[in-house]
Amino acid sequence: MQTNVILSIAKKEIMDNIRNKWIILVSVMFALLTLVISYFGSLASRGWQDLGFTISGMANLVTFLVPIIALMLAYATIIGEIERGSMNSLLSLSATRFEIIIGKFLGLAGVLCFTIFIGFGAAGLMIAANVSNVNYADYGIFIGATMLLGLVFLSVALFFSTIFNKRSTAMGGAIFLWFLFNIILPIVFIGLLATTIDMMMFAQGNTIVVPDWYHALNLFNPTTVYSSLLTTAIGPVSSMSASSMIPAPSWYSSGLLIGVLLAWIIVFFALAVWRFQRKDI
Amino acid sequence: MTTQLVKCPTCKTTITVSGEPSEKIFLTCPQCNQKGAFTIPGEKSAKTIGINSATIEVNGLTKSYNHFTAVNNVSFTVKKGEIFGFLGPNGAGKTTTIKSMLDLIHANTGTIKINGIDVRTHGKEAKKYVGYMPEKVAFYDNLTALQNLRFYAEIKHASKEECTHLIEEFGLGDTGKKRVGKFSKGMVQRLGMARAILGNPLILILDEPSGGLDPRGVVLIRDKILEMKKKGTTIFVSSHILSEIQEICDRVGIINKGVLVAQDTVEGLSKKLNLKPQITVTVDSMSAKIENAVKKLPGVDSVKTQGNTLEIVCDGAMKAKVILAISTADGNIQNLQTKEPSLEEVFMRYTEA
Repeated sequence: MQTNVILSIAKKEIMDNIRNKWIILVSVMFALLTLVISYFGSLASRGWQDLGFTISGMANLVTFLVPIIALMLAYATIIGEIERGSMNSLLSLSATRFEIIIGKFLGLAGVLCFTIFIGFGAAGLMIAANVSNVNYADYGIFIGATMLLGLVFLSVALFFSTIFNKRSTAMGGAIFLWFLFNIILPIVFIGLLATTIDMMMFAQGNTIVVPDWYHALNLFNPTTVYSSLLTTAIGPVSSMSASSMIPAPSWYSSGLLIGVLLAWIIVFFALAVWRFQRKDI
Repeated sequence: MTTQLVKCPTCKTTITVSGEPSEKIFLTCPQCNQKGAFTIPGEKSAKTIGINSATIEVNGLTKSYNHFTAVNNVSFTVKKGEIFGFLGPNGAGKTTTIKSMLDLIHANTGTIKINGIDVRTHGKEAKKYVGYMPEKVAFYDNLTALQNLRFYAEIKHASKEECTHLIEEFGLGDTGKKRVGKFSKGMVQRLGMARAILGNPLILILDEPSGGLDPRGVVLIRDKILEMKKKGTTIFVSSHILSEIQEICDRVGIINKGVLVAQDTVEGLSKKLNLKPQITVTVDSMSAKIENAVKKLPGVDSVKTQGNTLEIVCDGAMKAKVILAISTADGNIQNLQTKEPSLEEVFMRYTEA
């Protein structure tokens, strides 16, 4: 494996995205949304809220936005190049398919992480300049967890890009994935839960004990894992979600949740490599 | 005059050297003043630079998709330094063969060796020697011509200076910051050829290199192919422009419905098909006597008369006898032309079934 080949391909991906102004647009969008949520997000008080409050406000929005941005960034990585014709030339070079796909993944990961870092980072600095209580560590964890969530969807989109034979089908698949993880799976899991617990107790305000299988199932949804990670690792988010209907179980730890997100990235990247190695171009 | 880029062994500065093939040029590095000599590769010297087995060997190549066999047991060899034309009707299996040669698609059976190295098992090593121009030339639309070439140069270990030189050579020097996405088809095609020869590969594989080019572009590409051949490059070219193939290729292979139906020189294939040259004779006054005199000659296959012109299909060696017969029949020859069997006729005959 030649690192210079991987780095050249990664660099090209970054240049390509800089030239189409993708990075700038998304960074500005992240920054503006963060600032809007921080300034207007509280019903109780006006003006800038601290970073802890901002993270809580952002969590749901991030689970919707970051996956769709990552999916759109990567769904055409392989199939788009095949359809356009540039993959022929790339594969005719003295580079293995593994070097090409890892180069592409690293380039796109760099673009995504940089965008998240700049967008949320710039907004975080602005908020920090206007509030007294600043916890940079919590905000750093938030940015890191958001990057991990983005990388999960990047990896899944990369895999989708290798299994479909048309760019349009891959795009459809990416949109379906977004619906699956943000809408369908949460509804299905809640539905399953509702059929197994005593809803009358819930209606009367008694404490409900959510079975472990429900929390285990949620580990198969990276957006839920991300939300749980913020709850587990970031103090203000944890305190705000303490009163939620279904609190995170005690066996959820930051390490476990980060491990699950990393597993998602590794498994889908490995699947993408496996499929790309066998694909006729 | 040939231009080469050489690297100073001491400071790695790239120096442009121009001269005639085989000419020895004495240089002084402008950066570190290191003195040295460089011999411009000529036909003979370039061949000695290459590795002895700088060839393409395809043996028993078969590729099927579900129940459709795109390429069926195709075998051929391209010798070092020759230009091999690969012909066939649309959908005959040309591009499938080429893509298999580069391991872009995985053949069901057969072996493909580039420069003696198996493409399937040691693809990365084998492709070091190859420059490829696909049928559908594509680049990264958001990048400029130079940015695109530099990306490929990094992987091919070619210099940045070579990229700039090629951009100029292919008439794209004035594109500056213009994105490739805004290029015309001809410009993209020329850039595709520049990418293929980037790094001075030992083997060039060109799939329809002249497609979409204006006549000036066609000449540019053809001259470049001939220049690469002079350097000793082995060239495998697929094209629909049969006159061009006939002009530049040493040998041709014809594929039809996935089967390689013929491979030889154009003359060799003509002989196999028993195709004969056509002699066209114009006389000042046509008569039945002249026509009969020619028709009676043994070895004449057919005679067509159009005004004062006779179109005679016969062995090439019959030319003198034809002239004599016309003169004996009181014919006064004003013009005589001989047309050898064309690749088009060969192609049509091999692909008509």
